[in-house]
Amino acid sequence: MKGYIGIDVGSVSINIIFIDDGGVVAEAIYLRTQGQPIAMVQKGLKKLSGRLPAGSKVRGVGTTGSGRNLAGIIVGADAVKNEITAHAIATSQVVPGVQTILEIGGQDSKIIILRHGVVTDFAMNTVCAAGTGSFLDQQAARLNISIEQFGGIALQSESSVRIAGRCAVFAESDMIHKQQMGCGLPEILAGLCEALVRNYLNNVGKGKDILAPVVFQGGVAANVGMIRAFEQALELPIKVPPYYNVMGAVGAALLAREAAAKRGYSLFKGFGISNMKYKTGSFECAGCSNLCEVVQVTEDGKVIARWGDRCGKWSNAVIEEKIS
Amino acid sequence: MKIGIPRSLLYYYYYPLWRVFFEELGAKVVLSSHSAKGILAAGLKNAVDEVCLPVKMFYGHVLDLAGKADMIFLPRIVSIEKREYICPKFLGLPDMIRCLKNLPPLIEVDINLYKNNRDFYIAIKNIGCIFTKNHLDIWRACLKALQVQKKYFKLMQMGLMPSEALALIEGRVEDKFLPDGEKLNIVLLGHPYNIYDPYISMDIINRLRSMGAVVATAEHVSEKIVRNYAARLPKKLFWTLGNRMVGAAFHYLEQPGISGMVHVAAFGCGPDSMTGGIIERYAHGSGMPFLNLTLDEHTGEAGVMTRLEAFLDMVRWRKAACGT
Repeated sequence: MKGYIGIDVGSVSINIIFIDDGGVVAEAIYLRTQGQPIAMVQKGLKKLSGRLPAGSKVRGVGTTGSGRNLAGIIVGADAVKNEITAHAIATSQVVPGVQTILEIGGQDSKIIILRHGVVTDFAMNTVCAAGTGSFLDQQAARLNISIEQFGGIALQSESSVRIAGRCAVFAESDMIHKQQMGCGLPEILAGLCEALVRNYLNNVGKGKDILAPVVFQGGVAANVGMIRAFEQALELPIKVPPYYNVMGAVGAALLAREAAAKRGYSLFKGFGISNMKYKTGSFECAGCSNLCEVVQVTEDGKVIARWGDRCGKWSNAVIEEKIS
Repeated sequence: MKIGIPRSLLYYYYYPLWRVFFEELGAKVVLSSHSAKGILAAGLKNAVDEVCLPVKMFYGHVLDLAGKADMIFLPRIVSIEKREYICPKFLGLPDMIRCLKNLPPLIEVDINLYKNNRDFYIAIKNIGCIFTKNHLDIWRACLKALQVQKKYFKLMQMGLMPSEALALIEGRVEDKFLPDGEKLNIVLLGHPYNIYDPYISMDIINRLRSMGAVVATAEHVSEKIVRNYAARLPKKLFWTLGNRMVGAAFHYLEQPGISGMVHVAAFGCGPDSMTGGIIERYAHGSGMPFLNLTLDEHTGEAGVMTRLEAFLDMVRWRKAACGT
């Protein structure tokens, strides 16, 4: 099989997918980041190479997500793109005519507005992560239920209790209060879903013209309680695409297909990188009062990338070495 | 005598005026160092917690001048335009700074043109009297300073950024930036002390330029045009700088060839949240792509980069779609 790899390195999960030439997802791997993006990318690629039929060929690789630059260096990416563009590209391919994309991930949430297949507006959450997956994760753990059961239990409720959604800390104390008053678990979970949706629409979706078809994706779209809460708040049907939790990676693969076709070849370093030794470290540059935190990545002992310096003294040094 | 001027806040507007005035009166002018991590850290440690990021940075700049200057120029700038005010936090600056220890004496003179633009000369006389009893000398220094200031504003209206205009006035020639690739005209709006301070803004102007954008700001528009356009608001804004941003935004919205608008707000700035909201509504009304960036003291650049990259992708995408 010939195709393209897309890698989305997010704060909570790393998604690796393989699409064939026609853009159809053939393999999807979902791993938790566990604070070690490089090791998990290596692990994911190893898993992928094991699953692909013999003789498969990788014609391009794309990376996205907050760890896109790091992952891009490790694998030799053809396309390194921000998550907004990646999500928009993927969704407009999977759901033609989409006008609104709601995306809620581990630590960020975004809304993307499209008209006639073109992004016309977008927004991301600002300095607060209250309306995101991490919060649901945390509360599920506190209530001692697995995050997979969360949505199902919320759906059992016939009514919901009102929980303040402005801030995760206040929401938690509100929830505890309701629980001590004797409200049922399904009602509390349903209330939590509604609070998150309210917060999302007030914060990220503020002033946006939300029109159908509305697509909901990102890890939180697995939660049926959240889907119901969105449907009630927007009074619109909500579509959850297949592979909703790896859409960023799908977009990265589609972008890689474009970039590799333009270049004529791929920069992919091969599956062998899962066995290489990568090390990252940071040091404080004492060159001036900026005291930049410089991060460097080494591959089998050789420095392959540096960043974080404002003046370019360290990052440019690596590029120059490569040229010479 | 060495007069210290903090390289912060209204430095970006009035530095040429202040410097020439003091030098004509026989003083030497010392600037604080460029904004950097160390300066901000000192500011954060000493500032009251309610103020915005640029004011915290100002604290750092003042502290940086300790030991370098004999006096620090810290006027109480109440109003620089008839019937308008400067941000209330500026008004309290001398009082806030006075509480800091081990600082040289401050030159605290009220500058308040709220009632009458001619009150400017009262302020000039009050400052000048510190250096000489000869009113003619003060008057001469003032005229010379105003002349240079006029040239500075003119250079900015010709499309130069403050640092470039200063370099020209002072006879230093900076490396001129040569943009390549497809150009996009992007309007960057925000308080001058935010967008022109490369540390606070994470070097937004150069980042936009390196991504192939031509950056236009409110300072590139003449005072007269700004006033005319700002007068379209049903009610005049209280703040001079806010009026400038709104007027410039309205002006640019009517210019052909502008591809997008970026508004930079400091987290915790009241006027910014107001003017940003007004500009956003008008931009949406005329179909102009708009991005609001909120800056605070976090040093992670990924968030800003992701948003800028996605915004320019969107603008390019839209432009391409309009072309076909």
